[in-house]
Amino acid sequence: MSLLTSTSAFTDLPRLIAAGVVRYGLILALVAVSAIFSAATPTFLTLANLQSILVNNFTLLAIVSIAMTFAVSSGGIDLSVGTAMDFASFAFVSLVLAGQPVAIAALAGLAAGALVGAFNALLISGIGVSPFLATLGTLFIGRSVQQLLTNGGNPVYLPPSGVPEAFRFLGHGTIAGLAVPLAAAILIIAAAAVVFARTRFGRVILSIGIQPAVVRYSGIGTSTHIAATFVIVGLIAAVAGLILTATVTVYIPSSGNAFLLNAIGATFIGTTLSPFGRPNVGGTVLGVLLLSIVANGLLLTDLNFYWQQVGTGTLIFAVLALSFINRKAAGHA
Amino acid sequence: MSAEVEFAPAGLSAIEPPLRPTGTIAAAALRFGSLIAFAAILIVFSLTAPYFLSVGNIGNVLGQSAISGVLAIGLTVVLIAGGSNVVTGGIDLSLAANMGLSAAVYATLTQLGYGDAAAISAAIGTGALIGTVNAIAVVYAGIVPLLATLAVMNVVAGLELVLTQNTVLPASTPFLSALSASGPSGLPVLAYVLLGFTALATAIVQYTPVGLRLYAVGEFPDAARAAGLPLRRLLSSAFVASGVSGGIAGILSVSYLSGSTTGSGEMLLPVVVTALLGSVFSRRLVPTITGTFLSALLVGFLTNGFQLLNISSTLVSGVQGALILIVVSATTLLRRQEA
Repeated sequence: MSLLTSTSAFTDLPRLIAAGVVRYGLILALVAVSAIFSAATPTFLTLANLQSILVNNFTLLAIVSIAMTFAVSSGGIDLSVGTAMDFASFAFVSLVLAGQPVAIAALAGLAAGALVGAFNALLISGIGVSPFLATLGTLFIGRSVQQLLTNGGNPVYLPPSGVPEAFRFLGHGTIAGLAVPLAAAILIIAAAAVVFARTRFGRVILSIGIQPAVVRYSGIGTSTHIAATFVIVGLIAAVAGLILTATVTVYIPSSGNAFLLNAIGATFIGTTLSPFGRPNVGGTVLGVLLLSIVANGLLLTDLNFYWQQVGTGTLIFAVLALSFINRKAAGHA
Repeated sequence: MSAEVEFAPAGLSAIEPPLRPTGTIAAAALRFGSLIAFAAILIVFSLTAPYFLSVGNIGNVLGQSAISGVLAIGLTVVLIAGGSNVVTGGIDLSLAANMGLSAAVYATLTQLGYGDAAAISAAIGTGALIGTVNAIAVVYAGIVPLLATLAVMNVVAGLELVLTQNTVLPASTPFLSALSASGPSGLPVLAYVLLGFTALATAIVQYTPVGLRLYAVGEFPDAARAAGLPLRRLLSSAFVASGVSGGIAGILSVSYLSGSTTGSGEMLLPVVVTALLGSVFSRRLVPTITGTFLSALLVGFLTNGFQLLNISSTLVSGVQGALILIVVSATTLLRRQEA
């Protein structure tokens, strides 16, 4: 875009370079970080490790971050994605434990996630509470409800003998050589990309995120679209909850919240990829990849475990600073 | 940044519509409703819990609210100067981690044999440094505050772990003992610290030209720029002030817990809630220091009342959540009626 709107491409060379760094800065950062880890550790650049990054670091965060991308695209934010994950996980495990078929339990889990989303939708679209505060309230209430349901926060285990085959398949099976969780993540990423690029719904919620008033005056039902968005966020987060539970065969209260900050981070790192600073599926996926690679690479180095968190934070900070400074230089600030 | 995440009071237009007779009741409810609700909660607790309304208990609540109160007031300064948009405006997510690191610095220095004076300056210096990093990232690198302070939060929490190796560092010095002792008329010293800190912050933010400018920068940045206000310097100083509050809260927490402990990050959401809820206690629904102070006390009294009534502590977070939603929904609906 900036290439076309520039008045004279030749006199504006520094500006163009800066715009390029903004566009491709995230990819450059990914390459640079990978190169550093490949040089620093013998194990980083092995097939087994790259697979491990995708399965252990990438999958769940990617699904939650796609959910977050929907919320941020509509101009809001969802602090309760972890809560939706947890509720889905709790419903799933409880029903499997009660001897229900896995399919029924999974559907109940998805419904529980959608219910969290519907609660947010009611507050945001129905009453007009801002998404930040509404989902913050949901997060707090969800924490309490989970503690009440589990007698003060006791995990719900499935006995090793009582894990049904379909449950195990969801967590550890493969489809055509692809781990099921990873396949689910890829499916959700692809579906989200199609929704944003090709459907009217996707275009409308992106427009709401940019100019809500204009959308409203165009006669489009802003609040129904926002409501639907938050239900979708709950549903996608529920998928992550089901997969997490199927992988570790236990539900731990409030464990989904561990993904919240990284999902926000990945989504917003992704927005730096867009020339106008908008959330986008591709950017989010690259953001998740960057966070996963850094988490994995730091684990492989002999660095003290506690320094790893400092390393991750510093790197995110550096990427953000670089792209925002460049964005300023490119005139998109 | 496209994410326009505003908190409820942001709908306030620059010019308030003249109040009609029917609107006056709604407006009055809006202005005093939260105070009435606060009073009602206090009355219910004092009727049901026998020791609730004793001087000792009130002092306890004040003392227990000191740490979160100081943090929430620091955050309020950033909310004022940054404006009402939570993502692109004022937010400082690094505050709780800041408190943890400052506390760890204090405890480490006392263990190394340094005196109180050195430890105090180091803790406040740590807080100020973190605030400065936030200020540079937000004001000069142009990173949106939500992201900048999120990244800083990660770094700071990591540094705390590096320093403490995730263990509890005990600390006891004459100054810390004095802080955790009980002061005049049986109230804890921490209660006086909170009152003093609130009074000082209120004096600066609500009654000086600097405070007025902070509001101007936050609410009408373009007008403030046109009026020649040093936007960057004011916003930077708000982040530094918030960082210093984190350092002070760190010292208070070392005294309260007799050392530095892990898990300071848990304070983050309650502090954000306290600061955001505070605007409900102001007449025009904007963040104010006294509003935040009242909201910190409200949260403190709720927790305390539940403890006295032997209601499970697991309910506290649920009640806090429900409280935010009820208060914010009520003000949103009233405002809609008023408009």
